[in-house]
Amino acid sequence: MKALSMRDVRFMYEGSDRWALDGISVEIEKGEFVSVLGSNLSGKSTLCMLTNGLAPHTLKGKMEGRVEVFGKDTSGLSVAELATSVGMVFQEPDSQLFCMSVEEEVAFGPENLAVPRDEIRARVDWALGLVGMRGYNDRSPFSLSGGQKQRVAIAAALSMRPEMLVLDEPAYALDPLGRLELYSVLRELRQDYGMTIVIAERDSEEAIAFSDRIVLMKGGRIVDSGTPKDFAREPNRLRTVGVVPTQLSEISEMLNARIKGGNFQFLRVEEASKAIIENCLASRAGGAR
Amino acid sequence: MTGFVDLFTEANSALHRMDPRVKIVAVILLSLLALILSELAYLLALAAFMVLLLLIGRASLSKTMFAFSYVFRVMILIVVLWPIFDPSGATVLLELGPVKITWEGVLDGLGTAIRVFCLAAVWYILMFTTSQRDLVRALVKLGLRFDFGLSLAISLRFLPTFGATVESIKDAQRARGMELDKGGVAKRARNYLAVLVPTTVTALKTADMLSLALQSRAYGARADRTYLRELSMRPADYVALAAVAVVFALSFVGRYLLSVPL
Amino acid sequence: MIPRTHSIPSEERVISVRNLKFVYDGGVEALKGINLDIKKGEFLAIVGGNGSGKTTLAKNFNGLLRPSHGTVTVMNRPAASQTVAELSRVIGYAFQNPDHQLFCSSVEEEVRFGPANLGYSDEEVKRKVEHAIETMDLQSLRGLPPFSLRLGERRRVSIASVIAMDPQIIVLDEPTTGLDAGETKVLMEKISHLNREGRTIVLITHDMRLVAESSSRVVVMSDGRIVLDSDPRGAFADIDLLRNCSLVPPPVMLLAHSLAKYGIPKDIMSPQELVLRIVLEKGGAR
Repeated sequence: MKALSMRDVRFMYEGSDRWALDGISVEIEKGEFVSVLGSNLSGKSTLCMLTNGLAPHTLKGKMEGRVEVFGKDTSGLSVAELATSVGMVFQEPDSQLFCMSVEEEVAFGPENLAVPRDEIRARVDWALGLVGMRGYNDRSPFSLSGGQKQRVAIAAALSMRPEMLVLDEPAYALDPLGRLELYSVLRELRQDYGMTIVIAERDSEEAIAFSDRIVLMKGGRIVDSGTPKDFAREPNRLRTVGVVPTQLSEISEMLNARIKGGNFQFLRVEEASKAIIENCLASRAGGAR
Repeated sequence: MTGFVDLFTEANSALHRMDPRVKIVAVILLSLLALILSELAYLLALAAFMVLLLLIGRASLSKTMFAFSYVFRVMILIVVLWPIFDPSGATVLLELGPVKITWEGVLDGLGTAIRVFCLAAVWYILMFTTSQRDLVRALVKLGLRFDFGLSLAISLRFLPTFGATVESIKDAQRARGMELDKGGVAKRARNYLAVLVPTTVTALKTADMLSLALQSRAYGARADRTYLRELSMRPADYVALAAVAVVFALSFVGRYLLSVPL
Repeated sequence: MIPRTHSIPSEERVISVRNLKFVYDGGVEALKGINLDIKKGEFLAIVGGNGSGKTTLAKNFNGLLRPSHGTVTVMNRPAASQTVAELSRVIGYAFQNPDHQLFCSSVEEEVRFGPANLGYSDEEVKRKVEHAIETMDLQSLRGLPPFSLRLGERRRVSIASVIAMDPQIIVLDEPTTGLDAGETKVLMEKISHLNREGRTIVLITHDMRLVAESSSRVVVMSDGRIVLDSDPRGAFADIDLLRNCSLVPPPVMLLAHSLAKYGIPKDIMSPQELVLRIVLEKGGAR
């Protein structure tokens, strides 16, 4: 059973005359960390909204094809029913937190699901601990930093114990430190809890560093897909969809072009550093001194 | 920055710990009591009790001064003007042409001013010692529908956000040379539009996003919703409620059924 | 990368800040003694994490906020003696969220609002509007309602509506937030163009790549203070400083620093530059 399976999905928003999604077929395994990359209006956000039924249940429009989440067809299920399978985190920190305290925010989902009180307490503690926000229970979400707000939003989704987390450009409004905090939490979720993670992004740095698989979208279609390694090796595949490759892959690309027999490919700074020293700089007279 | 002040101050006083439902009911009864009483001595006693409650509730001095600065102005106006407009008493103190001041008028003015103080104080004490979250929770428990309570809570939660947005929009337009209160009628109307339109658009976008967020968090999934924090009445709450209820009942019966001057 | 050509900064000071402190109503001291001179024609990037005071500082330039202590001088006149409207003739300020600014039913009307407020003649307003629309490449959108446009386009409209007032200094608060790579490139080209016209640009950002690609000078802020004021290279040379200011150094910077003991300079700013140095070093070894 796949975590997410879309077959020939098309979606057109009410009042629009263009397919926001134009024939999407994709399968995502349980426990996979998948980044969906594309420029604005590529359809990545709409793809997210289809996973928990917000489209077409709330965001109305014309839909074709079939979306299954953990084997369940989403067309017959309400957004609220899907909430225990798919946790959703949105772009804007300020409009997805609506309670007067962090604790209420995280308890809101399980309360709606009529979870017993002791269990809610346990889940709130668990979820806040996971995102590094324990001790903030009584703080107003309004008073938190952007990165903290987004982590509370993740905790608020996790407390419903979903099997998959879908995040629509969650780092949109964050500063670099906030981004880093957010992605560290996601990595932990993936590693320690085997959470399936689908994240829409426009920036390749984190996608390459954190995901198992990258899916590229353009004009409502999936035009390419591969591992971070594939895209680090062939940065042009990212450029064709208007995504800037990582700086490391730009470096390896240029080195390969300029150094005879060069076959560099970097995912991380440490390995780039090591490879460059070994192949280019170690022999340099007086090096390492 | 936004002109919006949350009167609540975090503290661990007896009033803070009191069940918010008891506080709401007590505040209503004490307000009615302030209206029932008319004898100056009893009103003074009630006012003294309010001051005591402010002390028990550890009201912050700055917020108290802020809150009462308006009340005191109203009280002074009442004390000064009441005797002038109510010359019905028998004991004349002063007569200047058409203006007649009587002893009874002065006492009534004082009484009314103290009553205003009591009414203001009792509601301020509620606001000082009860968080918005507890207020909303209590209202829901007292019978307000959950979705109304949620709307109220969301409105309160978004007040500061919204205030900040309006300020930012005003700043953005001022930076384009707009002067809100200058120019003819047409120009001013346009200036207000320059603030109103972006405010409305931003509010609508936020509302749309909020509805997506609410649904994604299983809002309305089940009718038998549970609550993480239940309100529970402790012995002290019952005692407080009973005490207020007894005083109110005695005053009511005394004043209206037995016609005791209170 | 966009070629780094700037207007040559002159010695003429357009903004001069002395001992500026700013305390918000709630008592938070957001600026703790700022001294800064901005010269005509500079492309100045103000960087720092959220809450470092960058926006508060910029709002003191055009009078949206007034100093609690210290002075701001704009074009040799004290800002304190001028209204925000008067200052808006020389300092254009584009807000981070264009939706906080746009309210008209067409792009052209929107762009006209600012210069019309400043009481220019019809002729003059028309000329300035045309220049702004052309600079921001909005000819094909001029009749459309701003709210129907995409974010990148709305951002361009909001900047056009600011430059239509023909300010000598343009402050841009995080202008690339929410834009994709293509939109960012287009916008930054327009901003560089404005700089080449001789205008002074103040760019508020936390994106070090943007700094490397566009600015001629960087001011790093942390906790209400300026902790570094140098050319962009200076900021790239000091990795610990950036980290302490909750800025995340870009990978090229981390890599260059890790190669420092092999003769690679620490102040490298772009992948191209790094590769060039590596190839040079390698060649030198033979």
